[in-house]
Amino acid sequence: MTSHLQELENKSIAIIREAKAQFKNLAVLWSTGKDSTTSLWLCKKAFFGRIPFPVIHIDTGYKFPEIYKFRDKVAQEWGFNLLVAKNEEAIEKGMSPEKGRFECCTLLKTEALKDLIEREKFDALILSIRRDEHGIRGKERYFSPRDEEFKWDYKNQPAEMWDLYVKPAEDYSHMRVHPILHWTEFEVWQYVKQEGLPVNPLYFAIDGKRYRSLGCQPCTIPIPSNAKTIDQIVEELRTSKISERAGRAQDKEKAYMMQKLRALGYM
Amino acid sequence: MIILALDALDLHLVKKFNCKSLMQKECGQTDISEFKLERTVVLWASFLTGKNMEAEIPVKGQWEFKLKKEETFLKFFNSPKAIDVPAYSLREKNHVEERRLLKAYFDDKASVEEHDRVVWKNHEENKKLLFQSLGKFDLVLSYFDLADAVGHLSFGILSKMKEVYEELENLAKRVKDEDDFTLIISDHGMKAVGRYGDHTRNGFYSLNKTMGLNVPKITDFYQVIRGVAE
Repeated sequence: MTSHLQELENKSIAIIREAKAQFKNLAVLWSTGKDSTTSLWLCKKAFFGRIPFPVIHIDTGYKFPEIYKFRDKVAQEWGFNLLVAKNEEAIEKGMSPEKGRFECCTLLKTEALKDLIEREKFDALILSIRRDEHGIRGKERYFSPRDEEFKWDYKNQPAEMWDLYVKPAEDYSHMRVHPILHWTEFEVWQYVKQEGLPVNPLYFAIDGKRYRSLGCQPCTIPIPSNAKTIDQIVEELRTSKISERAGRAQDKEKAYMMQKLRALGYM
Repeated sequence: MIILALDALDLHLVKKFNCKSLMQKECGQTDISEFKLERTVVLWASFLTGKNMEAEIPVKGQWEFKLKKEETFLKFFNSPKAIDVPAYSLREKNHVEERRLLKAYFDDKASVEEHDRVVWKNHEENKKLLFQSLGKFDLVLSYFDLADAVGHLSFGILSKMKEVYEELENLAKRVKDEDDFTLIISDHGMKAVGRYGDHTRNGFYSLNKTMGLNVPKITDFYQVIRGVAE
């Protein structure tokens, strides 16, 4: 392992162990994408091959078939406790992206997760966001408190100096823990290759297109690419000028703003 | 009297960028929590009339809503001039174009730069009208939507907002000695939602005199302006 990847891994494992020590009921979110699969692997490494807390997959019902197949295969091979968060009621009522992407994401992702958190009484969740993904994520902390509405008060976050990650004494509903916050997309792929991690086949190019970021099928489009192996993906990233989330239809913030501006009568 | 009506001017950024001319002698936040939504036309109509106009102005067709002079504090002046003021003298063509580009941005048919270019062009036009009017009227009420329009698409990008606030600070600096009484007021504030900007329930006000206003409502200024006019 290169010393740089080793440093990244060491810090991430320290954060995961710190989270396990500080919180009573921890879980890790897994979308089956490269980032959360990397986090899952780091959780395995942190606890010597066994993930000692549940793994949550949010199932909107609109995921790619490859995602479900990959999820079930890895869950069986790695032997963790998989919990699926699904808002069956909203799906039965026909919620879909056509009815509004913001509303759809809120009901099928946020509400499904809220219900599961409440039911299982989780006080902390490991998420695999990275600072280089998006401008606003650059402001995130490793330990990031959320209120009951999942709101993040980024102006009022605990300082994290000298790698000290401390949970606030009060005024939060659950903590988000971000062990790979300091990684880049490029480094994740290098690590995936080095560790021989399983990769969702959607990431590899077919007919000149591949998915660079995985979401729900109706809201994710492939980017032009000929990268059919991890090496080719790494090579592609060295020169790519396309943003990582270019294939995702809507940022949450963009969808929210569009809805708000409509309500205000701007559009 | 000069009133600069600066849409979405936010006290936090005024202080952050140390905009002393915008702050004047007395400055603070206004409270608009009585309104269900922070709608631009409703808030400026309420400012002009001293009454909460939310129920009277439906969302649909709001941009075409127009008050008569007799319904507003402009009636207290002999020769008032209102430049591009929502609910009164809006320069419709300019705002229709800005809103068209805003929609086009969300439909992935226009870039932020295309949108901002038009907003800045309209801002320059209003500035020209303002400086042509100074000294010729007993009230000049001039509206600028630069902070709101740029802010909606870029409030989370501090460097862009710094450019906007520096421009508004320069504007305030140029008008500050032009009249005995200068009020700078916004309809609402703004907060970042990712790179975007959403309205908040606190507007901004500043005066070149100390009046000791304590978190006034936007409708309270009707009487303040009337008092100064009379």
